Amino acid sequence: MIVRSVTLGSFRNYAALDFQPSPGLNLIVGRNAQGKSNLLEAIAMLGTGKSFRTSRESELVQHGQSLAFVNGVAELSHGSVTLSCRIVSAGGVTRKTYAVNGAPVRFASFLGSIKVVTFVPADLLLVTGPPSLRRAMLNATLAQERATYYADLARYAKHLAQKSAYLRTATSPDPRLLATYNALLAELAARLLLARARYVTQLTRAAAAIHRRWIPGGAPLSAVYHPSPALRDYAAGEAELRLQIGAALEEALPRELARRQCLVGPHRDDVELLLGELPLAQFGSQGQQRTAVLALKSAEYAVLRERTGEAPVLLLDDVLSELDAQRQEAFLGSVEGYEQAFVTATALPALEIGSAHYVVEGARLSRIR
Amino acid sequence: MPSIAGPVQSLINEFAKLPTIGPKTAARLVFYLLAQPRGEAASLAEAILALKDKVRSCSQCFSITEDDPCEICRDPRRDPRLLCVVAEPKDIFALERTGVYRGRYHVLGGLISPMEGIGPDQLRVRELIARVGQESPSEVVIATNPNAEGEATALYLSRLLQPLGVTVSRLAYGLPIGGELDYADEVTLAKAIEGRRILEK
Ligand SMILES: Nc1ncnc2c1ncn2[C@@H]1O[C@H](COP(=O)(O)OP(=O)(O)OP(=O)(O)O)[C@@H](O)[C@H]1O
Ligand SMILES: [Mg+2]
Ligand SMILES: [Zn+2]
Repeated sequence: MIVRSVTLGSFRNYAALDFQPSPGLNLIVGRNAQGKSNLLEAIAMLGTGKSFRTSRESELVQHGQSLAFVNGVAELSHGSVTLSCRIVSAGGVTRKTYAVNGAPVRFASFLGSIKVVTFVPADLLLVTGPPSLRRAMLNATLAQERATYYADLARYAKHLAQKSAYLRTATSPDPRLLATYNALLAELAARLLLARARYVTQLTRAAAAIHRRWIPGGAPLSAVYHPSPALRDYAAGEAELRLQIGAALEEALPRELARRQCLVGPHRDDVELLLGELPLAQFGSQGQQRTAVLALKSAEYAVLRERTGEAPVLLLDDVLSELDAQRQEAFLGSVEGYEQAFVTATALPALEIGSAHYVVEGARLSRIR
Repeated sequence: MPSIAGPVQSLINEFAKLPTIGPKTAARLVFYLLAQPRGEAASLAEAILALKDKVRSCSQCFSITEDDPCEICRDPRRDPRLLCVVAEPKDIFALERTGVYRGRYHVLGGLISPMEGIGPDQLRVRELIARVGQESPSEVVIATNPNAEGEATALYLSRLLQPLGVTVSRLAYGLPIGGELDYADEVTLAKAIEGRRILEK
């Protein structure tokens, strides 16, 4: 898919911007704090409806303003789509509204209208960083692919927050209310677990293939899903999983009551990365870890593309400069069949890339090539 | 800026405390009232006071009423075998507008939400159990909002009520009437598929 235009109003440091990107690779160069990440953040919002940098969305609205918008036109395989996201922030309340082709829609319908794969420096910690980074990697793809996954995830988070609050605050917790939360959580957890398990299976296959091409004959890369509770047999299906998760939640209840915390469920899932038999986080060299991250990001792109039948828009914020020339080339070469990419850097990369070059200076974008 | 006469400013302040009313709307309302005859203002003031003085909670269903028990609880034509549980009195008014439901109601006074300090003990759950015991309805219809709190409250109540031998049902989730399938969001559509029903022969 190709983003044909991006129009910003009072978004971050952009008072107004009208940008017609090119197909292929758009290289955006600029000194620090000129608006490179802000532009990529805006493009990502057209796909995910959310910021990839902050959960406090009032920050998106330009200082001194109360309304920001990101509008865009994208071309998909079945035609073009007009997207609009408005952020209103006033009196401490921030609200977002969405429209597709001019008609107002809910978040669930907006999400995934165009697909994006983002790659930011924080992703370089995917192997060694906290499990939340790896869960976010799973969610990014699955939520864009299916609105029902996102809805399940949001509802799971809601019930989990309520159960946590109850464990924390109730002086003599009502076991029937805890059982109610557990039943609701088990139903959602079973679906999340199945979706994640299937996705990791596909991801590990794609990542291993890419990795093998880069390092022929090396120890194979694999990603292993570790769900919470630690179930292994997903083939039994959703109903059976729900029972097993329900049993695990019941079993964990005395510990949860003692610790006043939710200890079991997909909010505790992790994905472990292995090189051969060895966990990369403990035993991998920095170079091996970095190569594994690139293979995973490239695989993420391949799987989202395969699942949705559209080539996602690739957004690389500041990551190229973190990679040596050889890795830059290997990575860009491995992202198969992308139709459009946005790449930011503070200086022209060593690599000769980009079908269009832009410079950002104080929220002004000009094409230099 | 010249200061506004004291009574004008204080009424603006009062109006601005109301939900959905900001300072601009509040000022517009106040200047409108200022231009009306005294009688208009008096009947508004009386209506507001009557709201607090005359409206109370029904001792049976906990809806709002002038006379206790409320009109619905007193109405002998209401089907005593059906009891509908709602979060707030305003939900009763929404359901009554349909004219479809002919049973009685029970107002919980909110939804279970430990994050806001609301557990079952803060709602009229014990009163509901007592009513089901006394009135022995054959069906309890739970009509809570289709959000997470409404869902948790409904499931909690059904687990509490089913052992008493009563049928517990919940409002269906589904598609808006008059809408078109391809305009429904995936989540609503998925719920509607889950809640599909067999057509009669
Ligand atoms: N809501 C806002 N209103 C006005 N300016 C903002 C707002 N949010 C962020 N900014 C400013 O936008 C500027 C550019 O930020 P951005 O993150 O896009 O920089 P960048 O070009 O990516 O820089 P770097 O190379 O350091 O990553 C920053 O100076 C920041 O203070
Ligand atoms: Mg930046
Ligand atoms: Zn009553």
